Amino acid sequence: MAKAFDRLAKLRAAGADWYATSKLGLVVVGSLAVLLGSTILQVSFGAYPLALGEAWNTVFDAQVVFSPDVWRWAFLGANVPEWLTRQQIIVWNLRLPRILVGALVGANLAVSGALFQIVTRNELASPYILGVSDGAGLVVLLTLTFFYGLMPVLPLFAAIGGGLAFLLVYAIAWKNGTSPVRLVLAGVVVGSVFGSVQRALFFFIDDLGVAMAAQAWLSGTLMNAGWEEVRIALPFTVIAMALAFTVTQELDVLLLGADRADSLGMPVEKVRFAIAGIGVLSTAAAIAVAGLIGFVGLIVPHMVRNIVGSDSKLLLAGCLFLGPALLVGADVGARLALSPVQLPVGVITGIVGGPYFLYLMRKKTNLGEV
Amino acid sequence: MGDGRSSRVEREPADSRSASEPESETETGTEAADFSGSDLVLGYPGLDDPVVDGESIAVPPDEVTALIGPNGSGKSTLLKGLADKISPDSGTVLVDGRQIDAFGSKELARTLGLLSQENVVPTGISVEDLVERGRYPYTGFFDSLSDEDREVVDEAIRLAGIDHLRDRDVDSLSGGQKQLVWIAMAIAQDTDVLLLDEPTTFLDPQHQLEVMQIVETLRDESRITVVLVLHDIAQAARYADHVVALKDGSMRARGPPEDVITEELLADVFEIDAAVLDTEYGIQVVPQNPLADGAVPPTGDPPTPD
Repeated sequence: MAKAFDRLAKLRAAGADWYATSKLGLVVVGSLAVLLGSTILQVSFGAYPLALGEAWNTVFDAQVVFSPDVWRWAFLGANVPEWLTRQQIIVWNLRLPRILVGALVGANLAVSGALFQIVTRNELASPYILGVSDGAGLVVLLTLTFFYGLMPVLPLFAAIGGGLAFLLVYAIAWKNGTSPVRLVLAGVVVGSVFGSVQRALFFFIDDLGVAMAAQAWLSGTLMNAGWEEVRIALPFTVIAMALAFTVTQELDVLLLGADRADSLGMPVEKVRFAIAGIGVLSTAAAIAVAGLIGFVGLIVPHMVRNIVGSDSKLLLAGCLFLGPALLVGADVGARLALSPVQLPVGVITGIVGGPYFLYLMRKKTNLGEV
Repeated sequence: MGDGRSSRVEREPADSRSASEPESETETGTEAADFSGSDLVLGYPGLDDPVVDGESIAVPPDEVTALIGPNGSGKSTLLKGLADKISPDSGTVLVDGRQIDAFGSKELARTLGLLSQENVVPTGISVEDLVERGRYPYTGFFDSLSDEDREVVDEAIRLAGIDHLRDRDVDSLSGGQKQLVWIAMAIAQDTDVLLLDEPTTFLDPQHQLEVMQIVETLRDESRITVVLVLHDIAQAARYADHVVALKDGSMRARGPPEDVITEELLADVFEIDAAVLDTEYGIQVVPQNPLADGAVPPTGDPPTPD
């Protein structure tokens, strides 16, 4: 009899696991479908249109995919292989890397959003709420305005600026430890001060081209994304994602509130700081190559949580797929909707994300708490 | 200790208790955690005067100790001080002869557990998942739950009587059920000392009884020292082996419930005129009238000046 109960319990546990995994599966499959659809659209359409079949064949052209020359070119920065046809160049040099950068940026924004939401225990938190984006933005504008020669190391500067802003926010919020509310408020204060300085800096830019570049960067765009950007973002992304997935247990406990986490033997402040550090790294990887793209980090974790619940492992896994899908999908709209004019993808995410967020606000009564 | 227990009234048949008692007598001291605080001065930042000013408490091992007192008497503060949630301005808390702040954070969490009054329920988490988080102090950075951890979790779920809720979302449960889940999580933490801050306040009578019965089962079945803050004097009288009465941050009485819970003490500490009856259901407290501040209690000690 006891054995029968045991078996029953195991079956039930397996059933519960399967249910949770199947919901994650839904997110993964749906995201991959969106990603594939966006990829096909993105590769086919544009100033040099390709038929769907042509585009497909070029993307999965074994001669290109398995060529060491192409891999060296894409990931190590070697010269463009000379034997590529015009069509292959357009797909492989312009359209595919843009999709890849979009996917990396989307994953980073979504995962760092989830991390920041858990650290601040606030559903309204995003990579941008803790002053990270405004810190990075200020440094970028400073570089563009006064140190134009340093453009090649801009991403590094952006990350440093974001990190410094975050440290400043943390220092301001600190009073016998931090609290989620204090962190968010300090983030808003630091963000608005830095934002004002940014707007002031615009008046010092003489060159129209520089002003345009700064503007595009501030609204978040994948227009200039190429293999160079993939090479910049990829290592940071891999490191940040690996770190994020090693702390899922800590995230789960942190979700129970600082008191409970403390009672369970977690050094809450240290863990919070470390996780926020992972978030900053991840955000910096995205900001460095795509500028400031809003709402993705806010909304993706939200959507995933609604489907899979707040188990951190499932949540992060869901974000890892839905983030890229959403961002690459939005970039299709940004690039093709008003063709030949391209919009920054940040404009699209803002236009779509804002109303979605309003809808959530009206639908949910207890919005705010994770 | 013997008197205190034998005069307690049991709902269970008496023989279950008498069978377990000799065993616990012989083993006392080998494993049970010695838990005490001495000369504790506890306060909050921003307050000039400490809430608890130089009190000592030695918690009898393997027993249930209840802290009672009116609102603002410092009972929750004392509990938080004992749990190292508030670091004392002076004084020490000893667990097994070691100072509490000498413990590593996870090590302390394996020795001493605290369930606070207010707990945050994350959305979309099953009861089982939540209880599993009680095993956090036992798992290393890269570890996942071991078979032993799962057994402890199963046992905690069984003890708390929430097997039927196992796969439910925690945020879909009633307040009382949630409290049982939190208690299961605290049990899964498998500590020598368990501190509960008003575990029954705001619960309906059914869940209050369930919570107190879990505490009783814990005491009987495992070697655990329980300290709990209770708002309800009758519950303290019925379930605690040892009662500590506090007022204005100082201890007014301590001892077995029938010695502590007297008409004089209720008048002094709670400022109520109440009848204390020794009935077949144990001590019953029947409150009659509130005493005006500073009024002289009908009998016994003169009120201490505040």
